[in-house]
Amino acid sequence: MVSLITEDFWDQGQFVAKSLGMPNVPRVKLPHPVAGLGEAKIEIIAASIIEEILNSFANE
Amino acid sequence: MPMSDFLEAENEEMALEQLHDMGCTDGLPVVIPTQERVVRCILATGLDGDMVLGELGPGMGIATVEKVATAAVMAGCKSDYMPLVIAAVKAAAKPEFDLSELQATTHCTAPLIIVNGPARETCGPVASGYGALGPGHRANASIGRALRLCLINIGGGRPGISDMAIHGHPGKFTYCLAEAEEESPFPPMHTSLGFDETDSVVTLLGCEAPHSCLYSDNADDPEDAEKLLKILSVGLTNIATNNAVFASGMALVCLGPKHANVLARSGHSRESIQQRLWELTHLLKADHIRYGGEFGKAFRDNPEGTYPAFKVPQHILVMVAGGVGLYSMVMPNWGGAGHQNSAVSVQVESDFFCAIPGLGGA
Repeated sequence: MVSLITEDFWDQGQFVAKSLGMPNVPRVKLPHPVAGLGEAKIEIIAASIIEEILNSFANE
Repeated sequence: MPMSDFLEAENEEMALEQLHDMGCTDGLPVVIPTQERVVRCILATGLDGDMVLGELGPGMGIATVEKVATAAVMAGCKSDYMPLVIAAVKAAAKPEFDLSELQATTHCTAPLIIVNGPARETCGPVASGYGALGPGHRANASIGRALRLCLINIGGGRPGISDMAIHGHPGKFTYCLAEAEEESPFPPMHTSLGFDETDSVVTLLGCEAPHSCLYSDNADDPEDAEKLLKILSVGLTNIATNNAVFASGMALVCLGPKHANVLARSGHSRESIQQRLWELTHLLKADHIRYGGEFGKAFRDNPEGTYPAFKVPQHILVMVAGGVGLYSMVMPNWGGAGHQNSAVSVQVESDFFCAIPGLGGA
């Protein structure tokens, strides 16, 4: 499992991961916000993080 | 920080600054929860300090009577209010309240405490009349605030860190009122939720700030009640609200006594009001598709006609409160999380409560 978390929600992700007993759950940071950006910009973001996501899965 | 940790300060002024600096307040001054004050508050409940009332998310802190009493002291509660504070915390901790999600969401939702039954007086008085949601009513102000301080210090809800409400709303400081049962032409709200009239009940609903609905009634108009219901439905639901966009969740209609009597004299019951409001809050699928963004995909394969903003009529709670005039209030809600932001009702237990001389202002 890899959680995708936008920059503004990074601290919240840390907080919730810790409170749920999963402090080391793999996370990948996205820019904020991602909602409503349109497909072209989402594809650029996806391309920029795909390697990090695959690496996170590989390290599980 | 667990609220039962002991802190040291030279005086109460410095203790207050310490609590502010640690993020343990709501931004306003609090009563310093000295050991003596907290112990006296626990003593008044007749319960063990380490009795567990529930788990509060998203921090998953354990709400004990001691920690809740600490929050109540900080909020300025009289010890008389504790049964209501405890019931509110129990309601918040129920899984169906979805507190973790409610605290964490970007929506502005805040838990509104509605009090029904004899505890409105015996554990208050909790105001239900003029300005019940405004300043000047100690029980309303401090009971709601005590719950908020529990959500901050036990549940871990802090703005921008674990509480991601984009704007929040003033009800996140305190949000509490009683139903005006004596002024209502209908049976008390809690009897519609399965309780006896003699029970005391706290109903907790995560919802937006109250929105005012103006309707100038006319006893000579045969359509008076229907026009009022239309006005309330427009205030309650439009394509800008979560209930309309998510097509889920609950909401509260808080009828002013004058408006309640308009509906009663036309033969309406609470149940028929809920039914008619549910019918009037059916919205155009075309609007949902056009304005609902990603959520608007729900009806793209079946774009004709209308859809209900609320799944069933009972998801529109109806109560009576406020002074006598031309206004009622509506509180839409978020509609998210596993239980779709449900209301939760808990019976108030005051059997163990001890009236201890000198504790009134503790």
